[in-house]
Amino acid sequence: MRLDNILGRGSWGLYRIFITLIILFPFFFIILLSFKSMLDIYINPLSLNPDWAPENFKEAWGGPPGGTGFSVYSKNSAIVVLVALPISGAVGAIAAYFTTLLSPSLRKKFMAIPLLATMLPSIVLLLPFFQIFNALGVLSNPAALGLLYAGLCLPVTILVLHAFFLEFPRELIEAAALDGLGPFRTFSKIVVRLSLAPLLAISLLNIIWVWGETQIGLVLLQAPGSQTIPVGILTFQNALKANPGPIFAGLTLATIPLAVIYLVFHRVINRGITMGGVIR
Amino acid sequence: MTLVPVLFACFPALLLLIATFLLPIISTLRLSFSQWPGVGPVEWVGLKKYSELVVNPDFHSSIKVTIVFSILSTIGVMLSALLMGLAASRKRRLDEPLRAIWFLPAIAPATAMAVFWTISVQPEIGIVTQLMGKIGLGRDSAWLSEPSTALYVVVAVSIWASASFPFLLIVGAIDRIDPEVLEAAKVDGAGEWQQNRFFILPLIQPVLVVVTVLQFIWSFNGFSLIWAMTRGGPVDSTSVLSIFQYKQAFMFGDFGTASAVGVLGTIFLLTLGVLSLRLAKSRTAIQ
Repeated sequence: MRLDNILGRGSWGLYRIFITLIILFPFFFIILLSFKSMLDIYINPLSLNPDWAPENFKEAWGGPPGGTGFSVYSKNSAIVVLVALPISGAVGAIAAYFTTLLSPSLRKKFMAIPLLATMLPSIVLLLPFFQIFNALGVLSNPAALGLLYAGLCLPVTILVLHAFFLEFPRELIEAAALDGLGPFRTFSKIVVRLSLAPLLAISLLNIIWVWGETQIGLVLLQAPGSQTIPVGILTFQNALKANPGPIFAGLTLATIPLAVIYLVFHRVINRGITMGGVIR
Repeated sequence: MTLVPVLFACFPALLLLIATFLLPIISTLRLSFSQWPGVGPVEWVGLKKYSELVVNPDFHSSIKVTIVFSILSTIGVMLSALLMGLAASRKRRLDEPLRAIWFLPAIAPATAMAVFWTISVQPEIGIVTQLMGKIGLGRDSAWLSEPSTALYVVVAVSIWASASFPFLLIVGAIDRIDPEVLEAAKVDGAGEWQQNRFFILPLIQPVLVVVTVLQFIWSFNGFSLIWAMTRGGPVDSTSVLSIFQYKQAFMFGDFGTASAVGVLGTIFLLTLGVLSLRLAKSRTAIQ
């Protein structure tokens, strides 16, 4: 079989290789450099033969002397995800489903609300978040940030799930009604159970967003011990200017697990994205 | 179904949306008419913050940086995304795994990628600089610490990081094209590029317009990537509006000015978004 056949016709094949190399470039070197000693990174960063320095990961995980490391950042990211995900998922799924039962014109009016919310820039929301968190004494509290993230994830959650629920077979809902099930029980007993794939898709999309959110986290998580992974990376970057090894190890910890999860579930996730239409 | 049970079911969502979006907007509006250093009482100062902003040269330069960054980044992102979309669709072999791999930049945390690229373009030791040195370009150039070049480095990295999302949306639009149309074009002797130019591009044009507008809005709002790479420097050459706002509030303790920036930026973006989407709609309606 010719290489041409595998990669596509003619010049597209070369082009596809070129793009793939550029896309994978950072991932490859983040992993490679995370295994190199400081000397090797400075003298010979391009060599494909690292001198295997596992202490990079040890320092990234435990943090620089007197500082915080990825053990703490990961824990905080986990807290934020565990608070944000179920709340936005449950609240969003209910709203997304029941609005499908409205008349088309009313339905569109309802959906304009989350659509408008996705358009709002964070520069118009950020400062009051700080003001409120400060007033309530929950600055540097990852669980409180998780609750805020739940609200910020809600518009996309509603839009994606709403698009899916619109295609849910009406006969099943009508059959459930004939069997005497009320609308709320129809939702919990039938609709949710048959919608596990889109629920998984939106959960993964929300994890990806929460895992990377920096702008709001930077403002609301000021104590290093409360920071999530992306905010922690910035603190780390400042603390370890002269020693990039642990930084690369940290970047590996921040990126690779998420990339693996995505590659495993990419069909489900991509379907969720194209279904929700043009939203992020 | 009648309205009342639906409203009942949507009540938690409405409450959360109001708390997360509506109340903060009202709060930002109010703060923009106030003097507030971040603690203590909020003092009403009327339009003072706006009139100060109008004559603030740093604000002017920040608007310029934001517009240049957004336009360059949007052009680069849309061209890359379109080429990637054409290259990974129409049921070529390996389309599926390529789409997965090409979407990875959208998955990875922007901060992490920004930190990687920042280290990579350092003079002498960065791997990008070393690679550049290998093909004969100066490996001692410090592009990111040079006010005249820093913005272009940030634009390049933002294109790398942001093309994947529009790419996936464009691929979705190409997938929805009726394959018979392209078959017919092929039978009539249209070559690859003619098919792209005269069939695929016109058919996905509405999606392209919407995605371009949204991409401009996303670029305009960008913060994390630029912050992680330059913190707005050197000498404010990459200080986009969101960074200008951050510094006003959290470094200079002027929440009033920062809020006014938020209000003006939002009015600009919403007007631009609504107008251009409406224009796009009426144009496609005529066609």
